[in-house]
Amino acid sequence: MIIFKQWRLWVSLLLLIGSYIFIKPNFESQTSDSKINFGLDIQGGFSYLLELNEEEYLNNLLVKTSQYIENTYSISSDIDNGEIVISKNQNLDALTNIVIQNLGLEINEKSDKENSYIFSKQSFNKSLSDMTLNAVEIVRSRVDFLGNKELSIQKVGLNKILLEIPGDLDNNVKEVISKTAKLTLHLEKNNIVGSKTFINEETGEQVRVQEIPNITGDFIQDASLQYNQNEPVVAFSFNKEGSDLFAKMTSENVGSRFAIVLDGSLITAPVIRESITGGSGQISGGFTNETANNLAIILKSGSLPTQIKIIQEKQIGPTLGQEGVEKGVLASIIALIAITLFMIIYYKISGFFTVITIISCLSLLFAMMSLLNTTLTLPGVIGIVLTIGMCVDANVLIFERIRENFKHNIEDPKNHGFNSAYVTILDSNLTTLFAAIFLFAFGFGPIRGFSISLIIGIISSLIVTYIILKLFINITSIKYLGLQR
Amino acid sequence: MINFYSFKNKSYLVSLTLIILTIIIIFFKGLNLGIDFKGGLNFEVKSNLTTNQLNEYFDFIDSDREVLIKREVGSDVFSIRIESGDNNPVFIEEIKNLIDQNPDIEILLSEYIEPTFSEELIKNSIYALASSLLVIAVYVWIRFDWQFAVSGIFALLHDVFVAIGFMSLFNIEFNLTMIAALLLIAGYSINDTIVLFDRLRSLTSNEENKDNFETNVNNSIKLNLRRTILTSFTTILALLCLVFLAPVNLTEMPIVFIFGVLIGTFSSLFLVLGIVGDLNYEAVLKARDS
Repeated sequence: MIIFKQWRLWVSLLLLIGSYIFIKPNFESQTSDSKINFGLDIQGGFSYLLELNEEEYLNNLLVKTSQYIENTYSISSDIDNGEIVISKNQNLDALTNIVIQNLGLEINEKSDKENSYIFSKQSFNKSLSDMTLNAVEIVRSRVDFLGNKELSIQKVGLNKILLEIPGDLDNNVKEVISKTAKLTLHLEKNNIVGSKTFINEETGEQVRVQEIPNITGDFIQDASLQYNQNEPVVAFSFNKEGSDLFAKMTSENVGSRFAIVLDGSLITAPVIRESITGGSGQISGGFTNETANNLAIILKSGSLPTQIKIIQEKQIGPTLGQEGVEKGVLASIIALIAITLFMIIYYKISGFFTVITIISCLSLLFAMMSLLNTTLTLPGVIGIVLTIGMCVDANVLIFERIRENFKHNIEDPKNHGFNSAYVTILDSNLTTLFAAIFLFAFGFGPIRGFSISLIIGIISSLIVTYIILKLFINITSIKYLGLQR
Repeated sequence: MINFYSFKNKSYLVSLTLIILTIIIIFFKGLNLGIDFKGGLNFEVKSNLTTNQLNEYFDFIDSDREVLIKREVGSDVFSIRIESGDNNPVFIEEIKNLIDQNPDIEILLSEYIEPTFSEELIKNSIYALASSLLVIAVYVWIRFDWQFAVSGIFALLHDVFVAIGFMSLFNIEFNLTMIAALLLIAGYSINDTIVLFDRLRSLTSNEENKDNFETNVNNSIKLNLRRTILTSFTTILALLCLVFLAPVNLTEMPIVFIFGVLIGTFSSLFLVLGIVGDLNYEAVLKARDS
């Protein structure tokens, strides 16, 4: 049989079996890394785009760097408008070019009296990006503690975090993710110099304390909601280092007050009655169950490096997504049937080959999407529709070319026609493919969803027309292709 | 046989008219920018109230936040767009709670975008579009000649621009999803154009008939005519299904794309090869001979 001599037959079978294997996990209930995910616009859910404050981070980094220079090289510096200004009336020998470079700084202006330095763009962006990765973990642990398991969270750009939660939302999510949660403990101080007054916004209680915190929340190891005389309180425990600091602070200051400050506002200011050596404590202060639990989660997860702002939030109800999918699937099936009928009526047997080609193209596309664990969104579905269009177009181009060659009695019309049409198809599809790759690299949201399915779709279409469609053309005598008219 | 090449001046006139009309429409009507590019709050709600009743309901909102309420064609779904203003996070919560409590309104979708972020999205979309256009131009230039690259990019920009005019005329919201629709038009347009370029190149490189440029152009179009019509037809067929069956908030996209397919078919049949000819591609062919 001539058919078994066709290498395309074996490759086709391989493609179909491969597609089947990779598509299969999608229909199994267990979670797998090679499944197509559905975007929120399809399955409904919530998405938040969080932005960390770049300016605040820059300031923190400037302060840290300036302190580091002072501590390590005994060189004092000032911070002015995003610059570190170092006066020349001190010994600057230690500040070699290598040191400056290692700190990520570069010289901005030089004068007789002073030098000013800024962070090089590259080093600042790297540092900003690392900070965001760190924040991603903090946000992840906060939302995890609330019990949302299927969430997706990723870093976007340099200082943004995209959080997507399918299904119903726990109302506390927004509350929990947007708090910076800088917890600090300050001892009371009546002297004006170096002190600061914190106010409790609800009760109006205020206390003047030392401005630089004695202990920060960074030392907190665990926190939980507990009850003290039926009132919800947040119990926390320090790690070893924190316990030591806390014991030292309490034993040296029995009788005086200290303030517990969260994100710049006073929560409570208890009096130290005795030295606390166990490294644990309680915060009380008019909590409800919910607020105490949220605070415990936040303290446990650690504080965010800067304030966070929600710059985009989306809530897609399940009805709309479901309706979208049902209608979208129905539309695709009807469109597919319409195209199929048309192609079969117009091209007879060849039209039937087109149908098989389209179905193979879709299988390969879904197999690749599963393999790459792609997220399918509604714009992605539209990309798939475009892919089907391009696949049909490729078929039409090939058939028309073969028909033309046949009419003009050109030798070997099938092969010649296919090959010359395939050059055209390659040219037009590759142009679109390259454009789609750039769109994917630079685009955001819907544009990315659209371009990823277009990229995978074009590749599938190119493969199946070259292998499967050509196989059918090869094994069918031109008399039966239904192309002569 | 139709002499397509002889139509080229008339086609230029048609195309110029379309471009001028688009400029006038955009100038007077402006673009209906969605919150992706303007920032603000957007709701899709299901309600048995009328547009007027909903307008009255939202009348309490501060007058410096513009409120736009539109019923999606043929459904009980409304799109409500509220401009951003001061203290947005608090405002969002308030208005969401308010709608949640109203039994006549069901929220299907709500979306908020910070204006600073929408500025970033505009920049981002422009980068994405510009870079992919550049890639197309470079690829066509490498595979063909620069005349083809210029003509192909012109046709593509022409089709996308006129489609934007169409959106402005019918007050269709311009958002990120629509950018994807415009890209679809761009992809379709360049696809159509390159098929013709390929044919013209192969005809002009054929020894027997390479001298008569006009005949070659006409033959390129004629030989591809059936394919162009078939492909446009099947694409429109598929899109019509989407128009009637897409979820209510997505029906506008296939409509814009159908318009794009029509305009793209026009530009590839009547514009692109004329432009290649007018960029003196014949001279390139002659120079290659000698």
